[in-house]
Amino acid sequence: MRSLSAKNFLLRRKIFPSREKLTPYFFILPSVLFLGAILGLPILYSILISFQKYNLETLVSGKAQFIGLQNYFAILGNPQLKNALIHSLIFTFFSILFQFTIGLGLSILLNKAFHLHNVMRGVLLSGWLVPSVVTGTIFLWLFNLDYGLVNFLLTSLRIINEPIAWFFQANTAMAAVIISNIWLGIPFNVILLSAGIAGLPEDIYEAATVDGANGWQKVFYITLPLLKSTIMAVLMLGFIYTLRVFDIIWIMTKGGPGTATEVLPTFAYRLSFINFNFGQSAAVSVIILAILLIAAVLYLKFTYGEEKL
Amino acid sequence: MSRKKIETSSRFALGLFACVIYIIPLFWMVSTSLKPVEQIFQKPPVLFPSSPQLDSYRSILGMHTNRPDLYINTVVYFKNSLIIATWTTILVFLLAVPGAYALSRFKFRGRSAYLLFLLVAQMLPSVLLVIPLFVLFKRLGLYSTYLSVIFADTALALPFAIIILRTSFLQIPDTLEEAAWIDGGSRIQVLWFIILPLVRAGLVAVGVFSFLTAWGEFVFALSFLPKTEMQPVSLGVFQFIGMYKSNFDTMMAFSTLVAIPAVVAFLFLQRQFVSGLTSGSVK
Repeated sequence: MRSLSAKNFLLRRKIFPSREKLTPYFFILPSVLFLGAILGLPILYSILISFQKYNLETLVSGKAQFIGLQNYFAILGNPQLKNALIHSLIFTFFSILFQFTIGLGLSILLNKAFHLHNVMRGVLLSGWLVPSVVTGTIFLWLFNLDYGLVNFLLTSLRIINEPIAWFFQANTAMAAVIISNIWLGIPFNVILLSAGIAGLPEDIYEAATVDGANGWQKVFYITLPLLKSTIMAVLMLGFIYTLRVFDIIWIMTKGGPGTATEVLPTFAYRLSFINFNFGQSAAVSVIILAILLIAAVLYLKFTYGEEKL
Repeated sequence: MSRKKIETSSRFALGLFACVIYIIPLFWMVSTSLKPVEQIFQKPPVLFPSSPQLDSYRSILGMHTNRPDLYINTVVYFKNSLIIATWTTILVFLLAVPGAYALSRFKFRGRSAYLLFLLVAQMLPSVLLVIPLFVLFKRLGLYSTYLSVIFADTALALPFAIIILRTSFLQIPDTLEEAAWIDGGSRIQVLWFIILPLVRAGLVAVGVFSFLTAWGEFVFALSFLPKTEMQPVSLGVFQFIGMYKSNFDTMMAFSTLVAIPAVVAFLFLQRQFVSGLTSGSVK
């Protein structure tokens, strides 16, 4: 199956003379109702709760008091929000920097056929569906202080003298969760960037070869400029998918040591499920939602431009 | 050696190097799970266990071994994950097939809006859903039921499922359906007997994707299922690393058993997943 582009799909309309106009609605109704109830409603409910004094008591009684913007004022005045925001930005920036660069390099590498190149692609994507709990657990073991493979390799290569207690110091704990997340994100980047590269017109490369361009020149003067819209889309999607990461951090560090790896999602979760302050937690959720919506709009703009779906 | 040959072999070498680095975590998981206890803590580390043992797997599966018994009933987690993932898959099918069919075959008001909604819906973080859903489920009496997690997992998998299935439906020519209608089939009959068998590959991809989403899902289970006897494997592994911090062989055996369905399914269905992901994401 050739990889078909979204644009083509969205533009290719299959129109049947529908005997009655209601038929399509009958077909989409179940999924619309379900997603409305389990995705749409909760998001709206979250916004509502963010304006209420909502805690364990109200959870039981169901009668929450409307308190306007107080949750937002409380949360914006809380230094932990700033802390989580900074960590989120660090986590996202370094995760994407490496996931994307490595993913782009591998996509360019795998774009040409060579011995076993399809097997290699399979191997490099194999982590995509591995449950995040498993990834977290494996990396906890790899970064183990006394017997972990990482410390062994680093000490035997003389990069460090003493084994690092990865999860006991702020910077190394952050590095460990970022590295684990990079591993998790590489397949996603390879899949999308490979599809973009495969869709580039062949004849430009042939013309460049005739003109005597070498491989690197083709990458920098043809592939990257032509790939610009794919690259922007992958970066925006990467941002959206990385900013929301919760599992791997909760499993590996629970946001610790102290609050060294606390990101916005773990902070929101902690406010709800440990402090039972649902109102403030919802306010943090709304802030996350706002950031993600801006990113989603930018992504859709880069991907679809002014075209209609 | 010609220039071309040098290029191809250097690509091969680089690719091999990248694969070796990338596969280390999964390799180390399996390798550790097969090691006799004394080799786990050996320095320098043993890459391939000299005499592989399966006791770690036996102990995870609740069989009798020479080791101290685990105070954690791991088999129950697998049973729960099976229940949750199977029902999620069924629910996704029931909702995604008609939805994707309509999006591929009809032009109707709200169609673009719905597609856009699906694209954005698959970006929503679970953490944003878990907080209001917790409150809602608690009030509706769904808290601490399988149904709560099944519903939430379905919502997580459904947008992507509809997008993949729609691309499969679009590849079936209209003429085929028209011919079947002329022969007197109803729309539902034609969908069931003619179209669905033709999009088998897409259906399998959607089924496996939904199953695995529910299989590995963590946040919803963590928040909606307080009773150990109802929790899925993701929480099993999480609890295990809390209780047995240094039982690395059993920990890795448990992880391997949880990861295997995902890795195997991916290797078999790579194409469907890849085209599904790209058709929904980049131009």
